[in-house]
Amino acid sequence: MNHKPRILVVDDEPQITRVLRTSLSTHGYEVRTAADGISALETFSDWHPDLVVTDLVMPNMDGTELCRRLRAVSQVPVIVLSVKGEEKTKVEALDLGADDFVTKPFGIDELIARIRASLRRAATPVSEVGTTVLEIGDFRVDLESRQVSVRGREIHLTPKEFDLLTYFMKHAGKVITHRTLLGAIWGGDYAEQTEYLRVFIGNLRKKIETDSSGPHYIVTEPWVGYRFNPGN
Amino acid sequence: MTAISFSGRTGYFIAVISMAAATAALALLRLHINPTTVALILLLVVLFLATMWGSGPALLAAVLGVLSFNFFFLPPYHTFTIADPQNWVALAAFLLIAVTAGQLSARAKRRAEEAEAGRVEIDRLYKELRDAFERASHVEALKHSEKLKSALLDAVTHNIRTPLTSIKASVTTLLDDLGQRISLDNESRRDMLDVINEECDRLNRFVEAMIELARIEAGEMRLRRGWSTVDEIVTTALERAQPLTRRHRVEVQIEKDLMIRVDPSAVVEVIYTLLDNATKYSAPGTTILVRAKRHGEGTIQLSVEDEGSGIPRQSRELVFDKFYRANAITDPQSQRPPGIGMGLAIAKGIVEAHGGRIWIEDGSAGNGTRVVCDLPVGDEDETTKKSEPSAKRLGHES
Repeated sequence: MNHKPRILVVDDEPQITRVLRTSLSTHGYEVRTAADGISALETFSDWHPDLVVTDLVMPNMDGTELCRRLRAVSQVPVIVLSVKGEEKTKVEALDLGADDFVTKPFGIDELIARIRASLRRAATPVSEVGTTVLEIGDFRVDLESRQVSVRGREIHLTPKEFDLLTYFMKHAGKVITHRTLLGAIWGGDYAEQTEYLRVFIGNLRKKIETDSSGPHYIVTEPWVGYRFNPGN
Repeated sequence: MTAISFSGRTGYFIAVISMAAATAALALLRLHINPTTVALILLLVVLFLATMWGSGPALLAAVLGVLSFNFFFLPPYHTFTIADPQNWVALAAFLLIAVTAGQLSARAKRRAEEAEAGRVEIDRLYKELRDAFERASHVEALKHSEKLKSALLDAVTHNIRTPLTSIKASVTTLLDDLGQRISLDNESRRDMLDVINEECDRLNRFVEAMIELARIEAGEMRLRRGWSTVDEIVTTALERAQPLTRRHRVEVQIEKDLMIRVDPSAVVEVIYTLLDNATKYSAPGTTILVRAKRHGEGTIQLSVEDEGSGIPRQSRELVFDKFYRANAITDPQSQRPPGIGMGLAIAKGIVEAHGGRIWIEDGSAGNGTRVVCDLPVGDEDETTKKSEPSAKRLGHES
């Protein structure tokens, strides 16, 4: 990225956009703001930001609809600003393609960390050595021979655990909702069967985590889903 | 089942006893009564048993009656022999009438019992239905109150979290600056501190409004009533609202010598709220008209009118609800104006605490919004007593 990363901040509260504009600019980003989804889409098509930070509840066009419209035209990382009690809308936005969320009120460092992670992920997607090997952080998966190694040590996974891990690796760092994960691994009919996930994630954790009671790689996002941190 | 068979046996037992008792009584009086009377009395016993115990005991009573009639009351007595052929006919007639009447009475009894059972069943169904309706409306009321609670909670959450978010983001940015992780220029630092200052005021306004509303709702609003001129009250409100109304044209029409016994600061608050709303919901450059006039006996009418887009009739009651924001319905394309959606709820509480009422009408030109409140002037005696010196004072001032 030759230019300063561009961030579009969308919120109908002028005080929030005012603070974020000053703060993110000082942190080395180029910032523009919009007060609703419609003007955000206009700025997006004119200015081509590298990342969008959006509130969920806004007049004219809300954050969920903005996510849907953005995903129709772009893979730009989207971070959703939500408040507790908006879980349903937050999950909906994540299902529609938002990458991450930050709960209001947030410290600026938390938002900056999420922005950095999302930008890094967008810039360097999971490396596919040849076409059959996935490699990211502590994980290496040979898709053809179905060999999996964590921190250089080979582990044995069942077919479903294997599918889960490769899906996580392809979407590392991103918050994946229960529904998305169930749909991707078991198919759309199982989208509500979260107990499947609990069992399989539990088993997968036992095989990949150093301490499965305090997981480091597969982190639970309460009431939303999971986030996969591949490690270094 | 045991109860039924017991009750069945009881019927037959009573049939035997009754017939025996009747026969004994009639036998004692045999010399004084003729066989026709005996037959009728025995028939009466059969009918009584049919009505009380049904067809079985009635049939048994009929047979016993025939035997008793023949044995004790038809010559030759104390034999089952019948000498006179006419008595054969009488006996046969007695048997036929006793059986038929017994069966008819029993059937009538059954019908009555069925009708009673039907009534009981209808009563039971009615009660069940009524209970079901009561349960359904209770559930509906609960759902409604849950919805209301959750809407209130959302509004409170929004009004508290939004300023907290700006404050926290500003403070953490300033901390990063202090820790030399970033370097803010002075203007940015000032901007962050301004945001913190403004958002603290916003939080404080919200908390104060919540407390005031809670007081009004609990009926604990303490009015410090005193005599004031309406002119004074309106002028104070206009002065306070001046920073808000700067971009509008404000026209004031107040009738002369209007005196009112109210809590002046509370009524100033009402007019301020109405002015604040008028500026938010009408375009800059348009006119806001503030009027005060006598309205019938002992009432003063205040109104604030704007030239905005107006409020649809169906929403005119709702705007006085806590946290209701007019633009959500009137103009979904508009931006949400700043505010906490409690102003009109508080204004209504203040007006009603004074014994007045507040409502919304079309503006006088057919568009815009006109918020009107009727306030009682106050105690009559005191009006006369107090208005004179005040009027003099006004006259002197003018």
